[in-house]
Amino acid sequence: MRSRRALGALIVGVPLALALLGPLLAGGPGPRTASFTLGGGHWLGTDFVGRDVWRQVLLGGRSVVLVALAATALSYLVALPVGLVSALTHRTWLEELLMRPLDVLLAVPSLLMILLVAAVLTPGGVGLALLVALVNVPDAARIVRAAAADVASRPAVEALRMQGETWWRTAVGYVGRSLTRTLAADAGVRLTGVLYLVATAAFLGVGVEPDAADWAVLVDRNRTGLFVQPWAVVVPALLIVALTTGANLLVDARLERRKRT
Amino acid sequence: MNETKPVAEIRNLRVEVDGRAIVDGVNLRVVPGTITALVGASGSGKTTTGLALLGEYPEGARVTGDVHAPDGLVGYVPQHPAAVLNPARRTGALLRDIARTQVRHLPRRDRRAAVHERVLRALSSAQVPDAGTMLRRHPDQLSGGQQQRVVLAQALLLGARVVVADEPTTGQDALTKRGIVEQLAAVAREGIAVVLLSHDLDVVRALADEVLVMQDGHVAESGPAERLWRAPRHPWTAELLAAASTTTRIEPAAEGDVVLRTGHLIARHGRTAVVRTPPLVLRAGECLAVVGRSGSGKTTLARCLAGLHRDHDGEILLDGVPLPRSLRNRTRRQLASVQYVFQDAAAAFDEHRPVLQQVARTAVRLRGVAEPDALAEALTTLAALGLADDLVCRRPGRLSGGELQRAALARALLARPRVLICDEITSGLDTVTRRGILDTLAGLVRDRGDLSLVLVTHDPATAALATRIAVLEAGALVEEGPARQLLTAPRHAFGVRLLETVARDRPRGRVPE
Repeated sequence: MRSRRALGALIVGVPLALALLGPLLAGGPGPRTASFTLGGGHWLGTDFVGRDVWRQVLLGGRSVVLVALAATALSYLVALPVGLVSALTHRTWLEELLMRPLDVLLAVPSLLMILLVAAVLTPGGVGLALLVALVNVPDAARIVRAAAADVASRPAVEALRMQGETWWRTAVGYVGRSLTRTLAADAGVRLTGVLYLVATAAFLGVGVEPDAADWAVLVDRNRTGLFVQPWAVVVPALLIVALTTGANLLVDARLERRKRT
Repeated sequence: MNETKPVAEIRNLRVEVDGRAIVDGVNLRVVPGTITALVGASGSGKTTTGLALLGEYPEGARVTGDVHAPDGLVGYVPQHPAAVLNPARRTGALLRDIARTQVRHLPRRDRRAAVHERVLRALSSAQVPDAGTMLRRHPDQLSGGQQQRVVLAQALLLGARVVVADEPTTGQDALTKRGIVEQLAAVAREGIAVVLLSHDLDVVRALADEVLVMQDGHVAESGPAERLWRAPRHPWTAELLAAASTTTRIEPAAEGDVVLRTGHLIARHGRTAVVRTPPLVLRAGECLAVVGRSGSGKTTLARCLAGLHRDHDGEILLDGVPLPRSLRNRTRRQLASVQYVFQDAAAAFDEHRPVLQQVARTAVRLRGVAEPDALAEALTTLAALGLADDLVCRRPGRLSGGELQRAALARALLARPRVLICDEITSGLDTVTRRGILDTLAGLVRDRGDLSLVLVTHDPATAALATRIAVLEAGALVEEGPARQLLTAPRHAFGVRLLETVARDRPRGRVPE
């Protein structure tokens, strides 16, 4: 169990450190050389326009990681209050008002939605984060509501109401707290989904410049030279995979520990 | 009967968790065809001893002593049988799965018939009356008593020679209880050893051949049931037996003012009306017992009064002022005036916070007491109910059912209620704890003078505490009147039946075969 946590921390730590600290270590751009070469002072070779891959990797994590983390956090920021309110209210119309519009959103495929909006607005990094958060809100809100509805029907909630307890203490202090396990498990999966979405969007050119230093863009642009110079594709792809796998392992280990205590 | 070779035996068992012995020096001989009962308060080590026969111990336990039991041939019927039945599969499938493993030696074409025959035999041994329909149902479509029989049938199918039944009658009404007693007696007649873990002395008395009285992990006294009842040697046994019998009735000196009054109440679940009662009146200082079998609507009636069941017609007036239907619309004063104690105390507490803090919140929220004062008051109230300081600073998971029930009572009392509604708060408790809680309630009513109780119960012994009794059957109020009159001369057939069942459940000693 402990080894799983250590493994998770290691796996998630490498891409996270690269993403956050990379830009500080990257240094200035060197002279461009031939495309897709190996050696010659570039220990990961050069990319499709002859830039140093290692420098691109150092620079390219921040956008992916920050956008994904921000989008996940944002989607919960909206989903939690919506889900909690609709689970705890006894007014059917309020629940309908909060949840039905989300169902409509849920029916639209998320990537299609992002591509459509991007075609009209051409969002930057912040816009992409908002967009990805938006498409994740319906799922997250439904999970919060379903889990909270289960907790809200327990006698403990009735007992709290009998004590005249405040809405905040009942909803957040008890119901919210009882949801942590479910939400932690969901967050692990959701982060993976968000990373996939952010990377896909970047891969398709949404929210980033076509030659930007971005792991997803690197994978996209350099795949033409995959068999000549594999590192330019393999390294950023591996980093993205490591980030999602590591995050899931960490969450699992954390849940395991909570269960035992 | 002691000449028979025991089928399982425990010698000098000691189970220690975190340096604390939960069971110490326990000896137990289980003889085929007899019923051995372990009795004692909750937390006295009954379940730990019973599970030791299965080779199961609490996590991280240090175990010393000898346990000899036939490997894999000990069946366990837990207190909540629903937890061990797969809800997604029909009863028939659950039983056939087990039977199928035992017919491998037969030729393939005979297996199906053999499986069916084995399942039916096990069901009839477990006293299942209508096996055909039972097999087609899912576990959640069965009553608690039926689920218990299915679990028992599973154990019998496996060829269990010892069956450990953990609190089989807890929370069951008098009629269901009788069925369970007959079922266990029938199992014992088939030559299977039954170990009965129970604090229900009526059931133990009706069934047990040998009784072990447990107290704090020790065996206080053991011996044949008949001798134990006639002449208990240990003071604890005497207390346990005495607690089972007597109840003091609450009789207010003078007729108090009307506190709570209801109109014609009709409570609904969805479209169906589940409770219809004529106007009811509750006076200060009296205790009204609402009795009836499970499913008769007594809890729904109580929940209407408490504001927990909004879907009803008819007003509920507190001191002549209508109470809002829902708790959420009641003022703090109204909330404090009518308090409710839940049946399942463990589920009614927040598992993350210490009990003391939760109890104290009532005073903070409903009476505006400052936090430190509320904590001090909570400690005093809890101590008066017999809960020590270090105990209540723990989280609910570390307290036993009886302790939590008392904490829940303290939580309601801190509101200084005028009407206290108790929903089955004594079911699932051993006789001494039950006695303690009932005495506490009687004392509160006597001391406070203006406190009125509503006791929802299916236990006529608990109802004996009441000044007045209302009998519900299938949602209708069939009889209501002074307890004295109702318990001696019930007018309605159901009241008579309930009383008769109680009387039958307490035979004067069992004739040994």
